[in-house]
Amino acid sequence: MHATQRLLQSHRAGAGEPLRVLAASGQLGYGIPEPALRRGLERQPHFIGCDMGSIDPGPYYLGSGTMAAPPAVVRRDLALVLGAALEARVPLVIGSAGTAGARPHLQATLDLLCEVAREQGWSFRLATVASDVPAQTVLAARREGRLQPIGPMPEPAEDDIRACAHIVGQCGTETLERAFATDPDVLLAGRACDTAIFATLPVMLGYAPGISLHMAKIVECTSLCCTPGGRDAMLAKLDPEGFELESMNPDAHATPASVAAHALYEQADPFEVEEPQGTLDLRIARYTALDAHRTRVEGAGFRARPRPTLKIEGAARVGARAVLLAGVADPVLLRVLPEVLAAVEHKVRALAPGPWQMHPHVYGQGAVRPLPAAQRSAHEAGLVLEFVAPEAALARTVAAVFKQNLLHHGYPGRVATAGNLAFALTPSELDAHEAFRFVLYHVMHDAPLDEIFSVQAHEVVRGELH
Amino acid sequence: MHTAPLSPAAPPSSPPVPLSALARVVRSKNAGPTQLTLDLFFHEAAGYERAAASAALQADAVAGLYGLAAGEARRFELPALQALKFTLPRRVVAGSPGDGDVYGAQQHGPLLGVEI
Repeated sequence: MHATQRLLQSHRAGAGEPLRVLAASGQLGYGIPEPALRRGLERQPHFIGCDMGSIDPGPYYLGSGTMAAPPAVVRRDLALVLGAALEARVPLVIGSAGTAGARPHLQATLDLLCEVAREQGWSFRLATVASDVPAQTVLAARREGRLQPIGPMPEPAEDDIRACAHIVGQCGTETLERAFATDPDVLLAGRACDTAIFATLPVMLGYAPGISLHMAKIVECTSLCCTPGGRDAMLAKLDPEGFELESMNPDAHATPASVAAHALYEQADPFEVEEPQGTLDLRIARYTALDAHRTRVEGAGFRARPRPTLKIEGAARVGARAVLLAGVADPVLLRVLPEVLAAVEHKVRALAPGPWQMHPHVYGQGAVRPLPAAQRSAHEAGLVLEFVAPEAALARTVAAVFKQNLLHHGYPGRVATAGNLAFALTPSELDAHEAFRFVLYHVMHDAPLDEIFSVQAHEVVRGELH
Repeated sequence: MHTAPLSPAAPPSSPPVPLSALARVVRSKNAGPTQLTLDLFFHEAAGYERAAASAALQADAVAGLYGLAAGEARRFELPALQALKFTLPRRVVAGSPGDGDVYGAQQHGPLLGVEI
């Protein structure tokens, strides 16, 4: 018998002690704070959960199949939580492997997990969930009207969908239940709904989905719901009526106000949270201080859906990117910079033709957000000129030609006739990876979840995967 | 995050004050790659009430502040938290070429100068 079955056979909602859920990390791979994790382990959690992914860092990671977190720190964090879970003989659940949770991310995380186990001589049963969605499945859903954009996502053409380098779906509790059915010690999932990581075992143990999802929604960010917020491990004690929240950092306090305020964070609607299984209604949730450090939460409403929905994400390559970095400190040029950039672009189109795009980011003059004229910098501005072309060689060529032409461009009223740009770096044009864009950020209705999410059971024997 | 109130909220008849004098948190962040969400937490209930009632913080006024059309911003009132929230469509899907703020964490500026 392995850790999942041990838990399922020894715990039942409402029959004995509350369920202790330890959220060890909301962003595995950036350094789990160790003192709080140790304190959390002393509380003998029934299982340990970690979220490893996010859509926040942008489409590059999903598109390129690379991790945002540095592999050396991912390895460190995996060693910490794997060692802790095996020693305590409790399930370890890691969701959204490798940032974006597509096959290459899952594989890279699995490789690091096995590497750690090999070094330590650890053996355990592992379940993996692959979250990749075939383009054909998305195309079928689109044709049948089962694909719905989230927010103002442009309608993708069929070719855009086919061009996605990776498409993933966020698996929910229904899928992780299938994975837990293989009795793993460790569950490593590709792209997963943050809440599924922490809510699936509670639901399997008989806790109501609404309360389990609400608890999961808060602890998936660890101590971010505290004041001051942070990244320290968070403990939730779940009973049939509600849950108690306690940061494992004694200086981060879960107060009714801080926990309730967390419902606003990165959330389009603070009252209604859409989950694959249904809608959480937080209007009626109650938050009560147990003491200055801990808060009890009860009463969120939950409207279950007849069939779970599936949130999908897809990223397609736009091209290769090069950037030109330069400063401008001439007041005359700063007054006419947009016109000068347009004139130079026109020149360069003739000198280095091809299907390239240029996106100027003029820091000090509205690169971050549009600025009224009076607030635009008149004395110094930073230029990040972004060039995207089908091939890296063309992007780099255009950046170089643009640099030289902008440096020596003559414009009306020019007094600084020796050069228009200040360079901090040589070379000042840099290769900047590949450029991707999100094509899919949609909800799929009536998705064939069992077909999409592939669950596999493995034995890891002293780091070797069987 | 908890700082002392800068000044007690003035009665509605008093001259306008900048939002930054009433709010302790003014922040922006993506809510997924297609939307931006703005959270305002006030020092105290009076400041919240005054801000919530002000013309400058109605949903359409905030849409205008961000160059959007009337009806494009949604407003949420959370009096128990002394908080207002606005959710807006992003101009560019996060991280597409040309985007200047992939996380959307630096879009709060236009709110800071709002007169209440």
